[in-house]
Amino acid sequence: MIDGPTGQRHADSPIIETRDLHKHFGQVRALAGVDLKVPPGITGLVGANGAGKTTLIRLLLGLTAPTSGEVAVFGTPVSRDAAGLRARIGYMPEGRCLPLDQTAADFVAYAAELAGIPPAEARRRASETLFLVGLHEERFRYLGDFSTGMQQRVKLAQSIVHDPRLVLLDEPASGLDPAGRDQMLEVIDRFRGFGMNVLFSSHLLEDIEQTCDWVVMLDGGRLLRSAPLDPPGDGTAVSVEVFDDPLPLVAALTARGIEVTYAGRVVTAMSSSEDGFVEVRDALAASGSSVRAMGTDLRSLEDVFMAATKESNG
Amino acid sequence: MAESPVSSHDSAIILDRGYRSYHGPRTGRRGAMAAVVKEGYRRVLGLRRKAKRKLFPWTLIALALGSAAVLVAIEWVSSSLPISLDTSDLFPRYSGYFDFISNVALLFAAFAGPQLLVPDRTQGVLNVYFSRPLGVRDYLVAKAATFAAVILSFWLVPQILLHLGYAALSPAGFLSYLGGTTDILWKVPAAALVYFAMHGSLAFLVASFVNRVGAAAAGIVAVLLGLNLVALLFQEVGLAPGTKWTSLLALEQHPRFVRDWIFDLEASITIPAQAGFGPEASLMVVIGCAVVSVLLVGWRYRRLT
Repeated sequence: MIDGPTGQRHADSPIIETRDLHKHFGQVRALAGVDLKVPPGITGLVGANGAGKTTLIRLLLGLTAPTSGEVAVFGTPVSRDAAGLRARIGYMPEGRCLPLDQTAADFVAYAAELAGIPPAEARRRASETLFLVGLHEERFRYLGDFSTGMQQRVKLAQSIVHDPRLVLLDEPASGLDPAGRDQMLEVIDRFRGFGMNVLFSSHLLEDIEQTCDWVVMLDGGRLLRSAPLDPPGDGTAVSVEVFDDPLPLVAALTARGIEVTYAGRVVTAMSSSEDGFVEVRDALAASGSSVRAMGTDLRSLEDVFMAATKESNG
Repeated sequence: MAESPVSSHDSAIILDRGYRSYHGPRTGRRGAMAAVVKEGYRRVLGLRRKAKRKLFPWTLIALALGSAAVLVAIEWVSSSLPISLDTSDLFPRYSGYFDFISNVALLFAAFAGPQLLVPDRTQGVLNVYFSRPLGVRDYLVAKAATFAAVILSFWLVPQILLHLGYAALSPAGFLSYLGGTTDILWKVPAAALVYFAMHGSLAFLVASFVNRVGAAAAGIVAVLLGLNLVALLFQEVGLAPGTKWTSLLALEQHPRFVRDWIFDLEASITIPAQAGFGPEASLMVVIGCAVVSVLLVGWRYRRLT
């Protein structure tokens, strides 16, 4: 898969794929053995500060080389054609990236030209993109005169002005007030309609829950989880937290043909029957597992993340 | 044939086409580099910026162009006098013009170099550059090309005005004058290139390491003029046996020495000439400074990214 040709991908082929990816900075281990397949759509990249989120994004852009392992975007290894891939990737950095003496329209048009869009088309697209992010009226104002929220929106605009297939957003809602965050997430949600795929890094789990289809969790450079945020299916999702080892329950559920995911001691069963609780009850009885809590899958992403972190740390 | 459904909406107008996919051509690295050059030119000249950003560069440009215009005017006045007056000894011509505006040009280079490099670095814009199909080398080459174009324009445009002005006022006629001074067509650009190599390489080097535009500009001027002073002091005092070599520290003097060589002039009193060096040594120093600058700037940006 990782060596496949660009542009000849099945719709469900991973947009991002890594294999045994390691990145060390001297003695510091930023990423350790990350195996990842991210499907099309909007994906959240979750992790505490220092988890390796920004390093992963820089590896995807080809701005830094992996210590070992492979990383591919659209099926093309980044090491093979980083510049070509970057023409189809948008990037919104977490920190400052705006020249304060330029107008929003000039800068976004310039960002488009840097991605290879001819000048006349770049100006047209800059205007359209600033309209999309709600800055059409302010587009001829200087960036130094913008508020933090407006600057975040310009950063977002420059990342999509060249019609990328993948947009990497590093903490896009950071520094915004609640209303600004909602507006930002709403705009990001609209990217689906433009055929863009998004990898959206954040430490605010509510933002991820609100926007993403898939979530990738990193902790200390290790991959904790890469899974759909809302497991698909028509049946009922039942969560069971057990006191002991969850594997017997996982095995019992799997033996009954039920799709199962688990993180820590929390097992989530995707039952296709009308009453998933009955199947889970039978599996519990068969496995002899002791139940601590049980219910429909209403756990927040934070619960999942904390459970996965706890499990990973032993 | 059925009437097109569009015809009933001929008066409709599209007010906003919204965000659209782009399926047109993409210019790749070359287009990206061209964009960097264009934007660099605008930044140095303050174009599409607030008015106060235009003040300093355009004042210096006005000084350079104005001095050329004044020299042509003096030529015109003297040519209309009833007595014959040779102004070439009194007022600078092509080679002398370099001396005439060298300090203004140095200020311009000290301003332009930091303007091209420092804000991109301190405002985090490098993150945007390098997320596009543009490598560190592409970025630096594009910035150096912009710098060369701006500085060489600063040196050459007034010289072109001078040349055309003198030709227009020449008693021999416009075309005869141009035909008789073809050597100017290579000598002036060659001398300008030497000045750029020295001023420009130093300006880029300092601008790569200093994070404030004003401090970098002051540093460039201070380094060039300060080293002159150091070389002069060593030469005057003659403290050590190797004093002769310290004259090569007078970086600001080398372009002038090489320019005299290009124009076949008797060497002006430069510190390296007084120490017994020939113009070839000055040329080697200029080339050496340019090479060291390229290496150090490249190293600095590789570390940054």
